Amino acid sequence: MNMSTAFVLTIVIALGTYLLRAVPALLLADRELPVPVQRALRNVGPAVLAALVVVSVASTADGGIEVEVAEVAALVAAGVVAWWRRNLIWSLLAGMAALWVTLVLV
Amino acid sequence: MDEPPRSAPMSASVPPGGGPGRIDRRAIVDGFPLFVPAVPFGFVVGVAVVESEMPAVVGWSTSLTIFAGASQLATVTLAGVATLWAVAVAALVVNSRHVMYSAALAPTFRHQPTWFRWVAPFFLIDQVFALVALRPDGSPASFRRYYLTLGVFFYLMWLAAVSLGMVVGPAIPTGWRLDVAPAVMFTGMVVISLTRSPAVVAAVVAAAVAFLAAGLPDRLGILVGAGAGVLAGAVAEARLVNDRAITDEQEFTP
Repeated sequence: MNMSTAFVLTIVIALGTYLLRAVPALLLADRELPVPVQRALRNVGPAVLAALVVVSVASTADGGIEVEVAEVAALVAAGVVAWWRRNLIWSLLAGMAALWVTLVLV
Repeated sequence: MDEPPRSAPMSASVPPGGGPGRIDRRAIVDGFPLFVPAVPFGFVVGVAVVESEMPAVVGWSTSLTIFAGASQLATVTLAGVATLWAVAVAALVVNSRHVMYSAALAPTFRHQPTWFRWVAPFFLIDQVFALVALRPDGSPASFRRYYLTLGVFFYLMWLAAVSLGMVVGPAIPTGWRLDVAPAVMFTGMVVISLTRSPAVVAAVVAAAVAFLAAGLPDRLGILVGAGAGVLAGAVAEARLVNDRAITDEQEFTP
């Protein structure tokens, strides 16, 4: 791929990425959204992040679904510690520790 | 995060109009733990840039222009392999969840000046959204400073991680499984954000549906799962209101 084609391609994708992030906020900012819609939008964070986690550990490159024991152990440990300590660093350390321990044991 | 943001008297790193032109040290403190797990992902992108059919300098520049890890990864790995249209579509679809972040922030942007509404979306990555969504509403000026400090912080750190990844990424043993770190971190963030029952419903339904849809191409399962979770959360919100017969409109006024 030559330099100019590659550059134009990345600029188009950059513009598209920006528009995905900007258009809803720009269009909706000055409108009073119906209360049910406002309520629905409150849970976007937990919903998107939960889906992101599941897809990133469960999907395989060839379009299959596969779950690895060590990854599940890591996520469970991270979740339990996050609930208990309310602290992201401890949660991350616990998750990675559980991952490595399980990889060694299983 | 309840205390008012403390500002560091450092050089201006926010555009004019962003208050007194100071960075919000609190944003750095909050953002740093979220950046650490993003480092291995930056390395993965860095390695992919080196191996790409695309000239390395253009692949590297996607950190400056696209600033979205999954889109950058799709762009550099598919360039030269798929048709140009396929590359562009795949790169945009993998990050379509950002549309939902943008809609969710619209009520907050209402109190912000026009320049901020145009600049802020460029920095709307997962970590920035998750942190500003957890943050109790302060004044528009302090929100702006917090948001922009986070955005610029992640932008610079991401660029550093991808650059470093191009150099040292290939030397890190894959056996360390650092690729799992972002998922582990996001799990912690989800759990910490589950302070209300509708949020629990939204997260559980999103996870279950995303699992069933995980085989869809271009990571579309994220969008399908998230959509189902948001809908289920909305139903749970409505039931909560009916059960307690309360009106919670006030909660939405920052």
